Amino acid sequence: MKARIQIVDNATGQAVEAEIFDEVTVEHFIETQQEWRPIVLKAARQLAARGSHQLIPQHFHWDWTTKAPELKVLANAFYGIRCNNQLQGLMKVETVGPFCTCRLPEQAGKSLVYVDYVEVAPWNLKVLAAALGEKPRYNIIGTRLIEAAVLKSKEEECKGRIGLHSLPMTDSFYINACRMTPVGRDPAKQNLLWLEYTPEQAENFLTGAK
Amino acid sequence: MADKRTMTLNLTDQEMSLLDELSARKDVSKTALLRQALRLYQMVETRLSRGEKLFFEDDEKKKAELMVV
Repeated sequence: MKARIQIVDNATGQAVEAEIFDEVTVEHFIETQQEWRPIVLKAARQLAARGSHQLIPQHFHWDWTTKAPELKVLANAFYGIRCNNQLQGLMKVETVGPFCTCRLPEQAGKSLVYVDYVEVAPWNLKVLAAALGEKPRYNIIGTRLIEAAVLKSKEEECKGRIGLHSLPMTDSFYINACRMTPVGRDPAKQNLLWLEYTPEQAENFLTGAK
Repeated sequence: MADKRTMTLNLTDQEMSLLDELSARKDVSKTALLRQALRLYQMVETRLSRGEKLFFEDDEKKKAELMVV
């Protein structure tokens, strides 16, 4: 799957064309290690030097290359967004597995698509770009990836139901921007916040994302 | 979306009842449920082949290893 989407160029405030695709390969994982990780670490060091440890993203140590064996597992789907010949975001979802069951009382026990990992290129993250004295380049990458997860959920007959564990720094994005329902802390997953979409919420999100 | 192929599946009454029950509980079609089951089987097989083990844990944190044949 390859599709044209629009993201926002922060320099101009204008929409620009990007591509979302699901044919993610180990080459994309290597690209994140080569292009993203040095910037993430440099920004994290800057933040640490300023004493702003609380602003260091909890995902700074992620290494997508360790997920290479998971590319062959049909339960997983990976999505990437490319713009200006650079990878701008990457996501892994699971269509079956231990977290693919709804917990919201109104849909408890039903199947959902679990968003396992979402990462946006460091130059698009406000906190990391600011640490390096820059402005974020592109906006709504995370929104476009969540949109892809909802569409995958519909394709899998889960009617838009998705669920995820949010890292503390991204709680507000999922609650306020995506308007997902926070269900509660999950002791089985580092006490991270578990959030879900109902089909109605997912539909509203898709409408708003357009 | 990937191209799909069609196959005929013969199930016993009990198996069909179970499929009906599970697909209703999961709120997906019977086809979607069987596709989930196949993917889950592959995921388990892949992880077991890497030397990992599959456990169930009860409320008292007692673990029971699941043997997959």
